[in-house]
Amino acid sequence: MYKGVLAAVNEHVNSESSARYALALAKACNAKIIICFIAGKDMPQSCCSRAEDAVARLFNEAKAAGIPAESLIKTGDPVEEIAGIARREGINIVFASTRREDVERRFYAGTLARRLSLDLPCSVALVRSVHMGRLHPGRILVPLKARIAHVKERAYFAGKLAEGFHSRVVVFHAPKPITGFFHGEIHLKPVEWEERVPADVSAFMGQLRKYKVAFESKLSPGAASKGITLEAAAKRHDLIIMGASERSMPASFLKGNPVEDVLRATPCNLIILKARHGN
Amino acid sequence: MAINRLTREQVFRNLASSESGLAEDEAQKRFFEFGPNEIAEVRKTSLLIRFPGQFTHFLAVLLWLGAGLAFLSECLHPGEGMTSLGFAIVGVIIINAVFAFIQEYRAERSLEKLKLLLPFSVRVIRDGKEKEMPVRDLVPGDLIILSEGDKVPADARLVSSAFLTVNNAPLTGESEAVLLRHDPDDEELTSSRNIAFAGATVTSGSGRAVVFATGMRTEFGRIAHLTGAVSAGLTPLQKEIVKTTRLIAFLAAMVGIVFFVIGYFIGRSFWENFIFAIGVIVALVPEGMLPTVTLSLAMGSQRMAGRKALIKALNSVETLGSVTVICTDKTGTLTQNKMEVKQLWSDGKTGGPEGLRYSDKLIETAYLCNNAKRIDGQYKGDPTDIALLKAAGEVVVVPVQERIYEIPFDPERKRMTTVNKAEKGSVVFSKGAPESILPLCRRILVNGTGIPMDEEHKEAAMDAYNALTGRGLRVLAFAYKDRKEGAAADIVPGEIEKDMTLAGLIGLEDPPRPEVYGAVRKCRGAGIKIIMITGDGSRTAAAVALEIGLVHGGPDILQGHELEMMSDNVLRERLSESDLVFARMTPKHKLRIVSLLKEMGECVAVTGDGVNDAPALKKADIGIAMGISGTDVAKEAAEMILLDDNFATIVNAVEEGRAIYENIRKFINYFFTSNVAELIPYMVYVLFRVPLPLTIMQVLAVDLGTDMLPGLALGAERPAGDLMVRPPRGPKERLLNFKNLSLVFLLLGPIEAAAGLFGFFLVMESGGWHRGELLSAGNALYRQATTACLTGIVLAQVANVFVCRSFREPLSGIGFLSNKLILAGIAFELVLQFFIVYHPWGNAIFSTHPIPAVIWLWLLPFALLLFAAGEVRKLIAKRLRTDQVVSV
Repeated sequence: MYKGVLAAVNEHVNSESSARYALALAKACNAKIIICFIAGKDMPQSCCSRAEDAVARLFNEAKAAGIPAESLIKTGDPVEEIAGIARREGINIVFASTRREDVERRFYAGTLARRLSLDLPCSVALVRSVHMGRLHPGRILVPLKARIAHVKERAYFAGKLAEGFHSRVVVFHAPKPITGFFHGEIHLKPVEWEERVPADVSAFMGQLRKYKVAFESKLSPGAASKGITLEAAAKRHDLIIMGASERSMPASFLKGNPVEDVLRATPCNLIILKARHGN
Repeated sequence: MAINRLTREQVFRNLASSESGLAEDEAQKRFFEFGPNEIAEVRKTSLLIRFPGQFTHFLAVLLWLGAGLAFLSECLHPGEGMTSLGFAIVGVIIINAVFAFIQEYRAERSLEKLKLLLPFSVRVIRDGKEKEMPVRDLVPGDLIILSEGDKVPADARLVSSAFLTVNNAPLTGESEAVLLRHDPDDEELTSSRNIAFAGATVTSGSGRAVVFATGMRTEFGRIAHLTGAVSAGLTPLQKEIVKTTRLIAFLAAMVGIVFFVIGYFIGRSFWENFIFAIGVIVALVPEGMLPTVTLSLAMGSQRMAGRKALIKALNSVETLGSVTVICTDKTGTLTQNKMEVKQLWSDGKTGGPEGLRYSDKLIETAYLCNNAKRIDGQYKGDPTDIALLKAAGEVVVVPVQERIYEIPFDPERKRMTTVNKAEKGSVVFSKGAPESILPLCRRILVNGTGIPMDEEHKEAAMDAYNALTGRGLRVLAFAYKDRKEGAAADIVPGEIEKDMTLAGLIGLEDPPRPEVYGAVRKCRGAGIKIIMITGDGSRTAAAVALEIGLVHGGPDILQGHELEMMSDNVLRERLSESDLVFARMTPKHKLRIVSLLKEMGECVAVTGDGVNDAPALKKADIGIAMGISGTDVAKEAAEMILLDDNFATIVNAVEEGRAIYENIRKFINYFFTSNVAELIPYMVYVLFRVPLPLTIMQVLAVDLGTDMLPGLALGAERPAGDLMVRPPRGPKERLLNFKNLSLVFLLLGPIEAAAGLFGFFLVMESGGWHRGELLSAGNALYRQATTACLTGIVLAQVANVFVCRSFREPLSGIGFLSNKLILAGIAFELVLQFFIVYHPWGNAIFSTHPIPAVIWLWLLPFALLLFAAGEVRKLIAKRLRTDQVVSV
């Protein structure tokens, strides 16, 4: 599925951390990787140097790991340039880091990360790197909602990253609690919840089995974002992989947005995958 | 690769840092990116939002509707006094909201206490220069300097160290210091020896480390995150109250609608139906229930405090009564936390502590390889060290030998070693777990001389070890080695623990608390499962569990490392087994055990004392912190604090909790009886076209006036004798069940209603009223008749309070005077009723009119009838229960 991977690097240290996930995925998929830095027009020289050093370090790491790699340093609008590279080089997925600033401005102003996820012709993995000691994930948490698009690609992505890092995957689903008017919240035992696993979640787990990825599943009724962050913190997960939010701005205001909530409060590194490959 | 597995160079490269630390501008960028290094609050619903929520639940909405209708009817029919009713209903809503909020609200300060465990400033190297700066400004990649007495400000990977030991108690609960090193380590990150975690204290040595996680992303932040975000959800009582109020609201709405329609078809005016709708709502809703529940819980918490269980959240008072599983620590809770030397093995012989007298080397090792101290007659230090120091000091005076070197106790190595000066050279002393010490020994002490240790000696030592642990003793092995060199400079750390001589084994015991055996039996009788979670080894845990009666025969022991390998499904299966004991556990396992038990539908109480117990304490239905040994963080996270750290106190509190639930049920029955008696006059009013026998204000006089204190006095009833031999109440058991509802709706309520209606019609008929005649609200006869109705209900409630004192036992069994508050409540009830009937203010507020004394006498037999009916029912039920037992 992924034959070409692009890792976008800039002067920030977390972009280098994010690119390491791209390296692991490229290696697991036998894909080529392009490590690129697009310098903005007015970028100071010190920032450019930092980014170029990071590109060089990552390029060396890729070579040392036996991954076919290429490094690119360009000037211009990052989104336009990356989109161009993706089209020309047949890139299937782009890794970019999302920053604290993005998290705070997300819905209120167009951020680079948001533009990348909306405008690129391929899948986009936005990485929020908050913990620099856990770049090699031992446990990956994959929260899923009841209805998910691009099941195959999402399972492939999670499975290949797990393969790349030899990690264990935990598929997590937070169903809505069952309530009755006279009973309030009705307590179901884990076995009873497992009988209610949504079809898409089952399909996702079926795909993981197909890729021979070791995983376990966990159902925890309640608020999705709180459940995800608590599970990640309690079980010391090193990485969360979520699908990109499909909620509109008004819907997010009314019903909340679990992806945005997790992005703000994640206790470990987080990848938000905007999948674009059809099933 | 994980940060702990990297070499020094890789650490700097991965974190884009260097020996000179970060540059200031890069540090600023990172500060902007990663945020301040501080413990932040997890976002929660603010009090400003939570309080209005008390005004919008289903019951409140129904009452708002009632108030709205009252105000509307005042507009349609001015002068009927409906405005005051509207305000009265709004008052009820506010009172209920305030009382519900008091129950729910709990000041949350555990994060404040956590924050105090982090330092305020740190020494850091930036741009190659050492500087002191606020901890808040620290970022990943910063190179920090650690030395004795410092608190570690963030999670950091060591890049250099010199005998750096840290106390990780806030994270692991382990009070012994741990020796850190800077080499790569293949262990898990959290148990790695080259990581200094935020919140730990440097006890000795020094080192430099590169920060890799700050603020909420540190392990310390993880505990803070869990402590702040984990919640146990609604308590069983809160859930029951939600269900009960919804049921009542539904009943009220249904009765209102059905009789509104009936009224319409039988030709009642809209206005009459309107009055009826409001009346039904007000009559059926037990307005006094929430305040009484809150006050009853408050009284319960006072009683528990008297039994050394301090309750922090009112709702938790009752939660204890619902507990089905208690997860308890061993040391200090089930046992006395007073280690004593019980047995020793040396020179091939096993004996009591007095045997130390005959084993110089064993006594020397126990005395000198020891960090406890005796200051002003008081022993200070670890309980095991204190026990050894005491035992050794009691039998012989050991010469003081200066300690020149120490390898502190390390939970991973399971031993500590000291080197002390001797007359000639020095002596190495080691003590620790036998599995850690025995492999170091090449020789063994026999007849006062060290001889080479052969297989037979090893087997004898292992047999002695097994025999001692089999008795529930904690066993330590002691070894020594004479060195020619006497200076600390000659010591090679890797060499000093080689080729040692085994001096012997010492078995220590932490005796169980004497009252625990009875408490455990009580729990078994009450159907409560006890799960012991201890850091001790499996044999010691099994022996203690057996001694206190926690298990019978061979216990099912699950160790920490086994638990880590288990999936949730497998662990759930194990948790459903009886006689389960958890050994070699750390506090981090508790949260998982508690979470799984809760998923299984259990109501869980868990004990804890350490900082990292806080998430489990928050997750449990009731977290219990130790008052003596507990940290401030644990105390803040818990709902209950044991003032004496004693397991038996938990069991006493459970009994009190069960009694409170029983009592809440009693006064709910009591309130509902009067509600039925208030409802029936409205039905008579609609169906038989008679004047309304009881006004809405008079309904409120009963619900919020005369019923209140007797109801509250029912909350102070003593626990029934059989309370702790019944199983915990099932999750499907309702506060208002069919049995109670039928008792109230079919027996007690109708008798009480008959009393009221009899009084009403007695006055009306004797005053010359004839059927079909409608009287105005201000008519004296009508007012007198409604007053008689009210008096009938109040008198019947006096009898009812005695009936409700016990569901099973007749009054003769529990004693007329055994709850003096009941008598005080009745006195208040009657005084208030006299005020309402005979005082002009009472007449004005409640539209009453004085009635002659003879009316009271006419109503009295109804009260006696109600009492007799209630007591006869109990006798019949008791007889039936006895018959059932006999037939079984």
